[in-house]
Parts: sequence; structure tokens; C-alpha cells
Amino acid sequence: MKIVVCIKQVPATGADKRYTEDLRLDRTGVEAIINPLDEYAIEQALRLVDDGAVESVTYLSMGPDQAAEALRRALAMGGDDAVLVTDPALAGADEWATAKVLAAALDKLAPDVALMGMASDDARGSLVPGAVAAMRDVPLLSYGAELKVGDGSAQVRRLSATGYDWIGAPLPVVASVTDQIGEPRYASLKGIMAAKRKPMETWSLADVGLSADDLRGAALTQVTDTRAPEAKPPTERIENLPAPEAAAKIADWLAARKLI
Amino acid sequence: MSTDILFLAEFADGAPARSAIELATGAAELASQSGGVAVALAYGSGAASGAASLGAHGAARAIVLGDEDRPAITYAPAAVASARDGGLALLAPATPNGRDLAAALVGLLDLPAFGPVRTAGVTDGVLETEQATLQGSVITTSRPVDGAPTPAVVLVLANTFTPAEGGSGTAEVAEAPGADDSALSKASVVESHEAEAKVVNLEEASVIVAGGRGVAGEAGFGPLRELAAELGGAVGASRAAADAGWIAYQLQIGQTGKVVKPSLYIGAGISGAIQHRVGMQTAEHVVAINKDPDAPIGEFADLFVVGDLFQIVPALTEEIRRRKGA
Repeated sequence: MKIVVCIKQVPATGADKRYTEDLRLDRTGVEAIINPLDEYAIEQALRLVDDGAVESVTYLSMGPDQAAEALRRALAMGGDDAVLVTDPALAGADEWATAKVLAAALDKLAPDVALMGMASDDARGSLVPGAVAAMRDVPLLSYGAELKVGDGSAQVRRLSATGYDWIGAPLPVVASVTDQIGEPRYASLKGIMAAKRKPMETWSLADVGLSADDLRGAALTQVTDTRAPEAKPPTERIENLPAPEAAAKIADWLAARKLI
Repeated sequence: MSTDILFLAEFADGAPARSAIELATGAAELASQSGGVAVALAYGSGAASGAASLGAHGAARAIVLGDEDRPAITYAPAAVASARDGGLALLAPATPNGRDLAAALVGLLDLPAFGPVRTAGVTDGVLETEQATLQGSVITTSRPVDGAPTPAVVLVLANTFTPAEGGSGTAEVAEAPGADDSALSKASVVESHEAEAKVVNLEEASVIVAGGRGVAGEAGFGPLRELAAELGGAVGASRAAADAGWIAYQLQIGQTGKVVKPSLYIGAGISGAIQHRVGMQTAEHVVAINKDPDAPIGEFADLFVVGDLFQIVPALTEEIRRRKGA
């Protein structure tokens, strides 16, 4: 049983980010981390290894050269090897192009389970897992609070409107997991040392069988303008008042906005 | 090229989800700008018998993808023929189900996609969307690149469009053409477990009273429930409160929980970490009650009340009750 965990390098949560003159997100000089929600996918994969259900874990990332750092950090947590798909033609890739490249790389790696975080910190569409599943024509098991594999199939435990369901499908599958997996492990010093010797390959677009034309300029969407949001009145504060008086002031505030 | 506006219309338990009604209204609004009509892609239990009723909310036509309760993405193969070049845009609810089905169409038809939008419009036949990015500090305008395949997928949060009520139209209903075999259809519900207590759908609430770490326990949600009941709203929570087991995960608001857009959000004992903020920052009015005068939520709330939630929340419930009675 082989799992490939897809990870994305993103700017650190809360880091100062802005748009460049040519309307791209400027990530230069910003501390980069593994997308925090991808760490849960890593943790889930490594738990399946710990339990003996999975033999190998490969990490896959699409990004600039420095995304190799994120892959090394993942390898320090555990797992066997890593692949970075990097190409000048991928700059500014949108969710569609990202899915296209990951799907092509996964076709080559042919895992039983391609595992992802449920969303990325810097693009909140959560569309990549479903798009990759569709491009590869494999079932999607999404938003798992837990993943089980074995006997030619995989299952995720997923919150439903009124409780939870186990959703299953025959292998191979694409799966995504939530932060209910449990807290991701830290890399040990031994793990960090070991990661330096683990194999990492770098693939170009051609290596996954795609051309720049296939990606239509890396995006089907374009940002045409950026602006500051409408100015919002400063926060009003109610402080140092006994509860009944504070409550009356809150009620006045709500009434003035026709909320009560 | 079709100028129609498609939308995903989810049904459950025999009735349209509120998202289906909101998106019917939104699609009709966009269609009036594009010169087309609103077309529903309806799926889930009750879709076959209920699809025509979407006409009352603005849909001219409805295509039924299937009438069973199964994972939404399994309907993607049935949607392909209708979606391909079937409209200028396809509105999808920004819920786990809606995103999965929309994502599969992005993958199957190579479609451009826009993350949850603040607004969308059609000018001179071109779809334009606005999104808040970088924690709401920047508003970007985006559109499909020239020559991109259609429809463009547009994710829409609940409460973005106000449903048109009181209409009496009937949508013309058709069944989706047969789909090719696809592995996407092979995911199925293997086991279903019901929670002991019925849980409300937080995404549909117009008033939310949310509690966090400061609520300090399961019992601490009691006063919040009373306030929510008085306001006709629902109770929500931060991840800390859900992780602690004080409240069901279905009620968690934030990056990994529900993304909500109520007209009023009251946060009690919630510090306002970025992961929570991205789940509620589009609420129209934000009131925060926290004993820490430096809590981050104080920086983006409209009204920040510094004080003990266990005194202020019951006092507020009492005050609202008194005014209602007066």
C-alpha cells in the first residue's frame, strides 16, 4: 500500500503579504511553511504507516525551487521520498492548473491513495482534491476526520448534517482530511538528520507529460484589479460598566441597526 | 456561447437546501445581466419532484441529475453534458458538497474557478467577481482569461444572495442525459451514524451566538443558547470549544468548520484567531464579548464589549426580553 501526500508551501499564517504591480501575490521575503492543513494529511499517512497498514509514503509538491524546503520538513516528520514539480511555466498557477499538474504527477507515481489537506491557507477554494480526482478518474473521499485503508478499499469518517458517515470507495482514491485527524507530530532531531539522506527528485512539466500549452499560461483566471475594502467605522467599545448597563448599551446598539 | 447561468441545487430529505433557493435568486440576477436564464442542476433526495419549485425563486429550467442521497461529487458525470458550454457561469454553494461537485466539473471540463465571492456580475458578456483576500485587507476583481472554457465556476457563501420569495413560477424540468461510466460515482456512504441531538445548519442562520475557550465548559453554552433563542438564532463555536468536546463539530465556525455569513454574529469568550476569523469575517455585524481588552477580535469587531460573558450574556438576554415585552 502506497500513499502520496500532496503538500503546498505557503506564506506563514499572518505574514505580511501584498499584491505586486502585475497583480500577482508577492511572496518574496515572506517566511514559508508547509500549509498547516497539509500537516494533518502527513500525520494521517504516518499513522497508517505506524499501524502497519501502509508501506511507503511519498511527498509531492508543485512550486518554485524553494518548495524543496517544505518537502524536507515533511521528510523530517517521516516518510520515504519526495518529488518536486517545478517549472518556470507554472508561475501564477491557479487551482485548475495546480490540479492538472498534480494529477499528471500522480498518474506517474500511481499511489493507492493520494492524500491532501482539506484546504490551503492562501487559496480557500478547496477545489484541488475534487479536480484531481476527476482528472484522474478515481473516486474522491473528502473531508475525512479519519482515513482507513485495506482490502482494496479506503474509507473516511466524515461529519454529516446530523452525525457522521463512513464513506468508502475502491482503490485507488484521492482523499482529503481535516484537522480532526489529531495534532501533527514534530520532527525529531534524528528525523531532521535522516531527512537529509532521503531521496528527492525534481521534475519539470515535460517530465509529467505536460507542455506549457496544456496549461494555457498556468491559469484560466486572472486578477484585473485590486483595491482596499470600503472603510469600516472604527470598533465601538463598551468597557468598565456593570453588566445590566453594558447589556442596555448593547441592546441600544442592536436596536439602532434593526437587529432586535 | 450560452448566456445562461447554471447553479447547483442541492436537495435533502425531499426539499431544496436553502443554498438552492439563494442560488436560484443569484443566478436569475446574473442571468438578467447576461441576457440568459437561470438553470438549476438539481440533485439529492427530492430533486425530481421538487426541481420545478425552484421556478418560484428565479430558475427558468431545471435539469435533474439524480434523486438519491449520496456524496455530491458522484453526480458529476451526470452533470457533464449539461454543464459543458451550458452557461456563462455556474454558481456552486461554498459547502463541502458544493465544492466537491464543482471541483469535479473543473477537473472534467477544464473550467476556471473563483473562490467564495463577495459579488459577481456580468458586464458586456464577461463575468466579473470580487473576492476578499489577505484576511480581508484587499479586494480583488477577477475574471476568466480570454477564451477560457465555460461555464466559469463561482463559489458562493450562504447569505450572499437574499432569496426571492413569493414568486409563483415553475421551472421547466428535464432529466439529465445518461452519463458515461466514471470512477467518481464509486464513492458511497458505507455507514451512517446519527447524533443524539438534532444539530442546526449553521450556514443558514441569520443570527449566530458563538462561544470559545472563555465559555469554559459544556454548561457554559447554556446562557449562549438562551440568548440565541431570544434572537431567533443559532449557537456556534470556535475550534477550541469543539475540540474540548463542549459542543458538536457541526457547530464549529472557521477555516476547518463552517464558513458563515449571518447578519449578526455575537462572539463570547472567543479571542478571534485568524482560523476562526476566516469563518465569520463576512458577517454583516460583529459583536464581541471578551474579558481580555487586548483580544484580537477587538480589532475587527464592530462592537467590542470588555467584560465577563457569564454576567453580560444573561443580562443581554434579559434586556432583550424586557424590550420585547414592553
